Amino acid sequence: MSDATTNMTPDPMLEAIVGPTPGQMLRKRIFGHQGLMIGVVVLGILVLVAIFAPLLAPHDPYAQSLMARMKPPVFLGGTWEHPLGTDHLGRDYLSRLIYGARVSLLIGLVAATISGVIGTAMGVAAGYFGGKVDAVVTYLINVRLAMPVVLVALAVVAILGGSLQVVIVVLGLLLWDRFAVVMRSSTLQVRGREYVAAAKAVGCSTPRVLMSEIMPNIANNLIVVMTLEMAHAILLEAALSFLGLGVQPPTPSWGLMVSEGKNMMLFEPWMVLIPGAVLFVLVLAINLMGDGLRDVTAPENRS
Amino acid sequence: MTFKVKALGMAAAAVAMIAAGAVQANKADGVLNAAFTKELENVDSYFNSSREGVVLQRAIWDGLIYRDPATNEYKGNLATSWEWIDDTTLEFKLREGVTFHNGEPFNADDVVYTVNFVADEANGVKTQRNVNWMKSAEKIDDYTVRIHLKEAFPAAIEFLSGPVSMYPNEYYAKVGPSGMGLEPVGTGPYKVSKVVPGSHFVLEKYENYHDSPKGQPEIAKVDIRTIPDVNTQIAELFSGSLDLIWQTPADQAEKLSTMEQFTVANESTMRIGYLTLDAAGRTGEDNPFTKLKVRQAVAHAIDREALVGALLKGKSKVVSSACFPSQFGCEQDLTSYEYDPEKAKALLAEAGYPDGFSTDFYAYRDRDYAEAISSFLNAVGIDTNFNMLQYSALRELRMKEGTPVSFQTWGSYSINDTSAITSQFFKFGSLDDARDEEVKEWLDIADSATDPEVRKENYSKALKKIADQAYWVPMFSYNTNYVYTKEIDYTPTPDEVLRFTTMSWN
Amino acid sequence: MLNFILKRLGLAVLVAFTVSFISFSLMFLSGDPAAALAGETASDQDVEAIRVLYGFDRPMLVQYWDWLSSALVGDLGESYYFKLPVASLIAERLQVTMMLGLCGISFALLTAVPLGVAAAIRPNSIIDRIALFLSVAGQAMPSFWFGLILIVVFSIQFGILPPSGTSTWRHFIMPTIVLGYYAMPAIMRLTRAGMLEVLSSDYIRTARAKGASEFTVLFKHALRNAIIPVVSLAAVQMGFMLGGSIVVESIFALHGAGYLAWESIARNDLPTVQALILVFSLFYIVFTFLSDVLNAWLDPRMRAG
Repeated sequence: MSDATTNMTPDPMLEAIVGPTPGQMLRKRIFGHQGLMIGVVVLGILVLVAIFAPLLAPHDPYAQSLMARMKPPVFLGGTWEHPLGTDHLGRDYLSRLIYGARVSLLIGLVAATISGVIGTAMGVAAGYFGGKVDAVVTYLINVRLAMPVVLVALAVVAILGGSLQVVIVVLGLLLWDRFAVVMRSSTLQVRGREYVAAAKAVGCSTPRVLMSEIMPNIANNLIVVMTLEMAHAILLEAALSFLGLGVQPPTPSWGLMVSEGKNMMLFEPWMVLIPGAVLFVLVLAINLMGDGLRDVTAPENRS
Repeated sequence: MTFKVKALGMAAAAVAMIAAGAVQANKADGVLNAAFTKELENVDSYFNSSREGVVLQRAIWDGLIYRDPATNEYKGNLATSWEWIDDTTLEFKLREGVTFHNGEPFNADDVVYTVNFVADEANGVKTQRNVNWMKSAEKIDDYTVRIHLKEAFPAAIEFLSGPVSMYPNEYYAKVGPSGMGLEPVGTGPYKVSKVVPGSHFVLEKYENYHDSPKGQPEIAKVDIRTIPDVNTQIAELFSGSLDLIWQTPADQAEKLSTMEQFTVANESTMRIGYLTLDAAGRTGEDNPFTKLKVRQAVAHAIDREALVGALLKGKSKVVSSACFPSQFGCEQDLTSYEYDPEKAKALLAEAGYPDGFSTDFYAYRDRDYAEAISSFLNAVGIDTNFNMLQYSALRELRMKEGTPVSFQTWGSYSINDTSAITSQFFKFGSLDDARDEEVKEWLDIADSATDPEVRKENYSKALKKIADQAYWVPMFSYNTNYVYTKEIDYTPTPDEVLRFTTMSWN
Repeated sequence: MLNFILKRLGLAVLVAFTVSFISFSLMFLSGDPAAALAGETASDQDVEAIRVLYGFDRPMLVQYWDWLSSALVGDLGESYYFKLPVASLIAERLQVTMMLGLCGISFALLTAVPLGVAAAIRPNSIIDRIALFLSVAGQAMPSFWFGLILIVVFSIQFGILPPSGTSTWRHFIMPTIVLGYYAMPAIMRLTRAGMLEVLSSDYIRTARAKGASEFTVLFKHALRNAIIPVVSLAAVQMGFMLGGSIVVESIFALHGAGYLAWESIARNDLPTVQALILVFSLFYIVFTFLSDVLNAWLDPRMRAG
């Protein structure tokens, strides 16, 4: 059950880089890492788009016009009135995509935070205390991994009724496994270090040791897992919405847009291609950033 | 516009390419390939409640009576004649010389067994309404049978020509509903040669089919697969591995109708869509929909013509009464609310909501229609929180707590009478959001009266009040698209049943 | 070794029971099963009659106990929708899913392992970069979108592959690619990392020093060692894939267990959904168990941990 950790292998090509001071070295590694830079820039742009959605969107993403349904994008013979065309209810595609960035990023961020809190608490507790606590956490991780995520998420959303909140909470409660696995092994590594022993020796309380000695030293791994799980949550939301059991319309979710466009896929393929491509780019950017962060921080972690 | 032409050109080119390599011309081998969208739970017609089930039922089995879908005239099928002995007793003379697909001869024992089996509630027939008016059947001689009713039920003839079909007694006693579902046996024009539950059904022409008003089948073999995705259905239609699809959504059907190798036929159905508003205050005394002006505002807020023109298309029509226009007693001369968002806003202001209000909006099917409707409400200031629930969840919610506003549809079991819709929902049942005593009284009189004029008058009163009070906001009637290759000759009927018996090769 | 296996087995059984309870209680909370069962045209009395007939009015724990004790002897109840035994329904549908899973994992291994090896032989080369890009892109590609694109391109534009169904091997090509692509990145990365580690080990240096050909070094010595964790990862991925086939099956209309699950959720067919969650979980549990045992057998160091 260690597939999560197998991804953590550092890129050896980075080990060859030699820098004069640790700070310069880190900076050089960050700016020298193409994938990381691309990821950060693309993600940054998308975050800005999400924040400034009301300023950027040419139309109200919810305003329907039944007389102007499924107008093609400008590059397929449409007009600049709707640069990326309109959907099946005549709503502006570009505006919905722009607002959709908010939905995806919100879901990714909040779901990954929820699962991060749960997983980190469990993983750190297991790694630090060991023994029975570790056994219980390992058992819980196994239970969680054994449950098919998509199926369980679909079933729960079907029961509770889809909405942004429900989807976020369900994904948050389902995606903590990788956090728990990675945090557990990271804590195990750090637990034996001198500074932890020193802190215990001077009589620091357990919460204090955990917060000021353990956490700072495993934080970089936490950030890496966080980015990867954000991507995971965004993809899952899209898949749920695509299957009709995700966020509710008229919320502009990219997965929902693919699902709605799918009906006309044979005649208007752009309706599927455009939102899917944007989703792909967002997840790619987050993954590049996560991979890059892992590469950049991993050597330090091992020194 | 140029793009559309290009896209169609591309699609046509793709079709040509696919067709070149595909198995060709089903006319040649006499097999008609059709698709179902939904998985049929059980072929036994008493144990399913879907359109797909009705289609197979009409092909595999026969009823005692047959209603000509064109003229609505009742004709003998497995019975040659019938008469009312009294209000609760019907006597039938049965057709002689009919045999079931397995060789079992058809006679009075089959009718008695079938009726007694389905009428017994313990046997769990899925749609009780179809059978629970029958008490029992009694054999007079080998070819004479009496059916006893629980109480007077004028619609008996309609039901006997529809959902009630005759099963072979010996075989059914042996295999039961699940066996019948896997290896169906009837007297109908088609016998079943293969059933893969939910996904694949093969019908073959029954050579010994009796001289039935359904006519003799011409298509030798019908191969039906369940393909849930409409795109896949269309792709297979392009590639020649399907000859006929139905219930195709309006947009796709429109595109297909411009391609010369397909016929797209459209027929209306008896299903109507409507909003039901919580006038009785079931979700709370202060619920805005308890105010008449708010309900009228809702009615004025929705551009029903646009919904029909842009989304439903085909033979769909705007409806204003709480019933389907062709139904007996469905009054058409009543208050209708034209699309006027300004008036809607004014009415909301008069009702005490100058800035509108927000409410939960529920739906269970046709997400795009429901979404468009809720968007119209948003536009006049009724801020809707859209909830798409599964049918069962929404039904439970409506039964227990009610909903402020929900988009519902009803197909009236294809019964051409107002009692099948208005009386179902306005007589204080758990789904009655109006709870109007007066309406209930009129409906009670109309439902039980024997004089058609009395019925008409009382339905009219009830429907007029429903419209004046805007308990419901009726939206539109539904339609069905049938898409098939030019090789097939077929004229669909308005009752949403595919009849393979009336199809032929061109 | 036996001790290790017994411990793992105990955990697996415990996990299986927990999952069975969770899946049961989950589905029990869903909308009104009686209303779902009765269908759209049912009256209130129909719904009430069904509630009593199926025992939905009894306490939940009693119903769980009933369900579990018959599940243990292979009786998973009767599907509300099809009125057929769930066990046989699932057994029939699983053939497609298993077939798809096997094809998918084979595809993933057959593409990921060569790519991973090639990338490890020449780190930082163009091949390495392509492999890296494919794996990053693979993780970012929404599978439902990828599937739709394949249909548009290969079924509609070129008309060379059937868009749906299971009747011939050609029907499995696109679903296999979509499902396999999902497992590829992890396998490729692990192969690459494993190869890099082995290639820099003393063992390989010795082999090279002894004058073994580069081919022998790579495939006989290095890959054989690097492949062990890959095989166990593949087993785990297989478990994940079966659970993930729900999306792929719904796109390509494969009448497999995943598709059945999706449809059953929409139909509120409780016994089927419960059984499917259990069956998919059991697959994962069994595959993981096998992978653990395999690891322990091949690598004695692990038995201690």
